[in-house]
This record gives sequence, C-alpha cells and structure tokens, in this order.
Amino acid sequence: MWTALMFWGASIAFCVAVAVYLCSLIESSGVRRWGATGSLFRYDE
Amino acid sequence: MSTMTISYTVVFASYLVFLAWTTIKSLKEVETLSDFTTGGHRMGLLLGVGTSVATWVSVASVMGVPGYLYRTGAAAIIGWVAGWFLATSIMPILAYKVRRPEIPARTFPEFIRMRFEPFEKVSNLQLLVAVLMFVGYFIFCHLQVVGFGIVFNTITGIPYEYAIFGFLALLVLTSLGGFWSVAATDTLNAVLILIGLVFGTGAVLYATGGIGPILDNLAQTTAPINVGGTPMEAGVMLTPEGTFGWSVLMGIFMSNALGASVAPHWINRFMAPKNTKAAVLQMMWTVVALIPIFVCLIVIGLGAKMLLPSLPVGKTTDYIMPLIVQEHAPSFVGAMTLIAILAAAISTANSMLLNCGTSLYYDIWRALRPEGRLDDAKATRHLRWTVLVLGALSVLSAIKPPLLLAMGFTYVYGAFGAAFMWPVWLGLFWRRMNRSGAYAGILVGTLVYVVAKLLDFSNPFAVGAGLSLVATLIGVYLTPAPPREAYEAYFEPDVSPSTRAVALRIRREDDGAHHEVHAAKTSA
Repeated sequence: MWTALMFWGASIAFCVAVAVYLCSLIESSGVRRWGATGSLFRYDE
Repeated sequence: MSTMTISYTVVFASYLVFLAWTTIKSLKEVETLSDFTTGGHRMGLLLGVGTSVATWVSVASVMGVPGYLYRTGAAAIIGWVAGWFLATSIMPILAYKVRRPEIPARTFPEFIRMRFEPFEKVSNLQLLVAVLMFVGYFIFCHLQVVGFGIVFNTITGIPYEYAIFGFLALLVLTSLGGFWSVAATDTLNAVLILIGLVFGTGAVLYATGGIGPILDNLAQTTAPINVGGTPMEAGVMLTPEGTFGWSVLMGIFMSNALGASVAPHWINRFMAPKNTKAAVLQMMWTVVALIPIFVCLIVIGLGAKMLLPSLPVGKTTDYIMPLIVQEHAPSFVGAMTLIAILAAAISTANSMLLNCGTSLYYDIWRALRPEGRLDDAKATRHLRWTVLVLGALSVLSAIKPPLLLAMGFTYVYGAFGAAFMWPVWLGLFWRRMNRSGAYAGILVGTLVYVVAKLLDFSNPFAVGAGLSLVATLIGVYLTPAPPREAYEAYFEPDVSPSTRAVALRIRREDDGAHHEVHAAKTSA
C-alpha cells in the first residue's frame, strides 16, 4: 500500500518540482510578458 | 413527500440556480471571438485551476477509480491514479511553451497551423487536425451523455430519455457563453465534486469504522469481485502489484501517463491563462487541488470492499460508489454525491462540446473561407449556434446509442496521443521540426493506432506513437528546415515583424486592433 502511495506522491512531487523550475526560468528571463514579476509564484503585477 | 425526495429536490434546485447565475455572469465577459474560444488569453489562476480540475475529473474517473480500487486494491493507485497524475505533471512543460507567443493561437488546429503551415492560405494540416478533433470530441460528448443517462437512471429511476434531455439543457446552458462560462461553471462544479465526495467519504468512514478497519479487511479478504466468482488470495489487495504483476502494471502506468498530456482540449486550456507563468502554475495547482478529490475516491473504493465484499452477479464495479453511498449514507449525502457525479459529467462534456464546436466552425468552416470577413459578434453568434446544434445532436444520437460509437470511446484518447504526441512535443522544443514531419507523424500515428487496435495489439498506443516518431523524423530529415516565422514565437521573447504579421493574418486581426484589445483587457 505504501509503495503505491509513494508512486502517487512521486508524481505530485515531480509536478511541483517541474513547475518551480519553469517559474524560475521565467523569472531569470526577466520577460514581463511571460509573467516575470520578481517573485517566483506571483504571475501578475 | 419523503425526506429523501425533499433532500434531492432542494440540492438539485440550488445547483441549478447557482449554475444559471454563474452562466449569466460569465456571459457578460464574452466580447470577442478570442473570449469565446480561449477566454481572451486573460484567464487568472482561480478560474484556470477550477476549469482544469473539473475537466480532469469526469464521470469515468468519479465512477471508475473506486471501481478499479474495489477490483484490484492498491495496484490501482499505481496503474491509474499515479499514471494520470504523472500525465498531468508533465503538462506544465507544454503549457510553458504553448502560452509563450504574444499573439497565441485560439484553437489547437490553429496552433498546428501557426507552427507548421504559417504561409498557407488554406492550411490542410489545420483542416486535418480539426476533422480528427471534431470526430473525436463528438464521440466523447456522446459518450458522456450516454454514461450520464445510464448512471442517473440506475440511481434515481428517472427514465434514461428524460435524464439525457435534462443533461442537454445543462450542457447547453454551460457552453453557450463559450470558454468563460465553461470555466466559471467548471469552477463551481469542481467545488461541488469535492464537497459531494467529502460527504460520501464521511459516510463510508462512519459505516466502516475508519481507515484501520478498512486496511485490516483488505489484508484478510478473499471475497471475489462478484458473488460466485474465484476467491482472491488473502492480502493481494494490499500488495503494490496486485493481481497484475509488475510488468503489466508498469504497462498500464505508462500508457495512462503518456499521451493524455497532448489531448487537444488540454493544449487549448494552456492558451487561456494571461501569461506563461500563469499557465505553468495553473497545472501545478490543478495537481495539488486533485489530491483531496482522489483521497476521497481511494477511501470510497477501498472502504466499499468492506461494506459490500462481493457484487451481485452481473453488476460491474463501475457502480460501486453510488451503490455504497446510497445504501450507507443519509439521503442528503446521497443527493450531494449524485450532484458530484452530475458536476463531473457536465464539466467534462461542456469542454468537449466547446472543442467540437470550435473545430467545426472556426477551424473548418471559417478556415475554408480565407477571404471571409466576419466580425467578432457575428462569428461568436455562429459559434453559439454550432455548439447548440452539436449538443442537440449528441443527445439525439444517445437515445438509441449505436454500438459503433460506444466502441469508439477507447479509440479516441489513444488515437489523439499517437497522432499528436510528436508534432506537439517536437514542435514546441525542436526548431528543426517542420511541416512534413507533422503530416507524417499525425497520419502514421492515427492510422497505425487504428490498425493496431483492430488487430488487437496489447498496447496500440505504444505501437502508434513509436511508428509516428519514426515517420516524423524521416519527414523532418528528408525536407528543408521550417521558416523562422513557424517556430520563432515559441523560442524567442521578441519576434520579427514578419512573424508577427503572419500570426495576425492567421487570426484575421490587424496590429492596431490587437494592441487596443490587449491594452483594454490588461487595464480592465
């Protein structure tokens, strides 16, 4: 049961990691039109 | 009037009032054609997450997941739940690229045209994709109607024909306002799905005594799925590989994880947020918001094995959730669970109907008239009529559902994955990906998938997608690189004037109009 739940948890963790990485790429690009605001999770000014 | 009837009437009436209010409010948001097709590319995170969650959770998942768990135990969490979550986990990567252009496509076939055939007056690739989408989404829509009618009839006893026409009214009500009304009503539906499932889970936990007794029962039970069937091995329901074995389970996991991410209605969802980061965050928060919904579905599925060890002969596991809730919960909880199923059906079907309608009107009828100058108001009105007629046809076709259409269900998702996987992924991440590669990938992927399915291959998606990749690469390397106007918007922050002009020409807008609309929406 725990192995099955770990598979599921790993999928969720992977999603969050990918999204955080992509948001950091947007921030480092500095392109405001893409949502670079100076804050990782803020998308709008 | 019995308490049960009063409970059901109050819950349903409240739901209809909320739905109507949300639709009327969101109708005011639709001013342009882009508003109708993709929410004007200005959707915020709340609506984006709401519509994505509700579209994600269909009748198939609300009814199917507890059914899989009841049948196979913990293995279903790996094969289906984790597989689907992994599919959603890679969506932010696609969203990151799809929402990059300043002037994005309005529909999936238009995205394919902008990326691969930007200079064609009439794009055959756009038409090909639109026809595949139209057929696929009509089948999806039809099946949501049939599925809902059967479920509603089984649970409430209301005749199937009445149920599907009632469903038509709700479907059309939530679709006529286009993407804004679909998104707004979906957000409401997402909340109701969660509330309904929380009530259902509470009822199951109360009836079983909690998680501990449920796990104890799973460790000991040998009860077959149906009365009189072969008994199970004790403890097998708690092992991760269950009765499948690891190789079969990994096959199920991978086929659920791959392919679903490139379904056209998801690509369409990625065009709606107001910028790239909002598109990425939308999919991340969607995954987070789906966790409590799936916790509920898992508890209901596993708890059901304790409350009803074996189903009567002839009953499928798909009905385990409503059966358990109806038998072990008060009538108000039963009504709330039924609302969750209704909300899941409507929120998936309205999205399918919108995609079906836009494919037919925007990507086929309008695309075949390159010189036609329809203003936004007229085009939006035509789109509303298209959606209305298609909704009516999907219900009429469901009165006596033909067997062929029912068989089509399993074909569509796999065919979409096999056909569009490489054109979408390579188109977004490889500048060299070109028109010939897209034609080869889509045609070979579709045909091989259908043939593999007809020949009963064990994994037709893998065969279709594999050969589609080979065909795509051959097509790409045998023909020249694409023009800059085809890929620039997906790779560079600023595009050349010619790329901008091509995007505006495809959308049939002039630059001034685009700037004015964009500025007005941003300031609003």
